[in-house]
Amino acid sequence: MSTAERALRADARIRIRELGKHYGPLEVFRDVNLEVGDREIVSIVGPSGCGKTTLLRCIDGLIPASSGTIEIEGEKVTSPLPGIAMVFQHFGLFPWKTVFANIAYGLKLAGVPKAEIDARVPRFIKLVGLNGFEHAYPYQLSGGMQQRCGLARALAIEPRVLLMDEPFAAVDAQTREILQFELLRIWQLRPTSMVFVTHSIEEAVLMGHRVVVLKGRPAGVFETIAVDLPHPRTRATLSYPRFSALREHVWTTLMDEARAAELLLQR
Amino acid sequence: MLTRASRWSRWAISLLALALGALLWQAVASRTNPAFLSSFTATAARIAELAANGVLTDALRSSLAVYLTGLSAAIVIGVTIGLVLARVRLLRVALESYIMLLYATPMVALIPFIMSMMGFGFAPKALVVFLFAFFSVLYNTIEGARSLKPEMLEVAYSFRSGEWGVWRDVLVPYTLPFALTGIRQGIGRGLVGLVAGEFFLSGSGIGLLIMQSERDFDVPALYGSIVVIAVLGAALMGVGRMLENRFAAWRGLAR
Ligand SMILES: Nc1ncnc2c1ncn2[C@@H]1O[C@H](COP(=O)(O)OP(=O)(O)OP(=O)(O)O)[C@@H](O)[C@H]1O
Ligand SMILES: [Mg+2]
Repeated sequence: MSTAERALRADARIRIRELGKHYGPLEVFRDVNLEVGDREIVSIVGPSGCGKTTLLRCIDGLIPASSGTIEIEGEKVTSPLPGIAMVFQHFGLFPWKTVFANIAYGLKLAGVPKAEIDARVPRFIKLVGLNGFEHAYPYQLSGGMQQRCGLARALAIEPRVLLMDEPFAAVDAQTREILQFELLRIWQLRPTSMVFVTHSIEEAVLMGHRVVVLKGRPAGVFETIAVDLPHPRTRATLSYPRFSALREHVWTTLMDEARAAELLLQR
Repeated sequence: MLTRASRWSRWAISLLALALGALLWQAVASRTNPAFLSSFTATAARIAELAANGVLTDALRSSLAVYLTGLSAAIVIGVTIGLVLARVRLLRVALESYIMLLYATPMVALIPFIMSMMGFGFAPKALVVFLFAFFSVLYNTIEGARSLKPEMLEVAYSFRSGEWGVWRDVLVPYTLPFALTGIRQGIGRGLVGLVAGEFFLSGSGIGLLIMQSERDFDVPALYGSIVVIAVLGAALMGVGRMLENRFAAWRGLAR
């Protein structure tokens, strides 16, 4: 995206400029520029280890960037800002808290009064379909249910920015599909800024308004693909010819590198 | 979770085993010189007698005062220092070797030193109990708190938790079951410390009762005081185990 183009986006909630990050001698990514609108889902795909989780951690203010800046609604991110919620690749549920207490956690820390928490948590438990499991501990839940709980915890604070780190990677294919459409439905009810990291190209195209391909060593934004599929997206979306075309496009963009590596091996 | 029926059957089996043990004791004692072994019934009768004339209750009261003082200090200080050390790397690294050394030291070896420093009163005996129990509590708390996955802290920080919140929502609830394991060990070790202190420092409480009974060839009283202290130890460990189960429910271990 050129500077002129970037200046045009008035609705950008997240602004990432010239972002670079290295761990000691390891340069993970450099010159990452990205803007996410206030009602936009941006999918991020890229090979394992290219820095997707690192990028989300930077946006969440958990780790400092090495260069460049991140702004959320004009405020520079130097530590975790209010109203940003992350759904973790590792679920990140507290095993010593019940489902209810886990979902209430973010609200409690945000200083929401107890009466309000008691009213709000059951709504989100219902929203993600965990009714009846309020008092269960995480070890009593299946992987898919744990991920729903993590999702509810993030949604409960009604975040202005939702950061999703391969949220459905650890669940089975069917649960995954259910959760994808559930999330789309929830987003439709209350649209917000979302950065959606995934390994699945289908999922990236299905969820995103745009798909950002991270690639290279150090990684950078290799290509941004606009997903011109109609909303709301449903199961029917998966069978559109346009969906297949976009999926192929992202696949080719991503696979160039893998194919090159393969050729190198054959030699 | 045990069902009501299986809990009853457990109680029944335990009681039955204890009753069989008592019978066996009685049988062996009837074939042994009563100067070496007092029978179950004689021991039980002597316990009742000592309890009635106040000797046993006084001894217990005096011992418990020493024991609970030392033990509660060990628990409070051990858990607090353990959590702080788990959070402050510099302190932990600096003190690690000392803790390992002291955890491995047979504390009895320190008793002569404590005697020369503090004499024979209440305080040195409570200190002995403290020392016997403290390092179990400390060591288990540190090791437990350190096994907390960094992901858990990441979640806390992501939701903008401060240090106080990290302690309240993450560190303390996570570490509690580990600390309780240490406390349970400390209960047992502290009891050893109690009797050792009462033997080697100034004679008092149950320790004195044991020594006096031996000197007076009062074999039933000797066995009686040993039984009382064993039962006391077992009961306290039972309480420890109960607390551990209560606060470790989230780990989903079989009870
Ligand atoms: N705390 C850290 N210290 C040093 N290196 C790190 C650290 N965290 C990540 N890295 C390195 O940074 C690179 C990017 O890691 P990151 O977890 O962001 O990748 P990713 O794109 O999320 O991978 P995946 O798709 O497998 O989740 C990797 O090479 C990783 O080894
Ligand atoms: Mg990752």
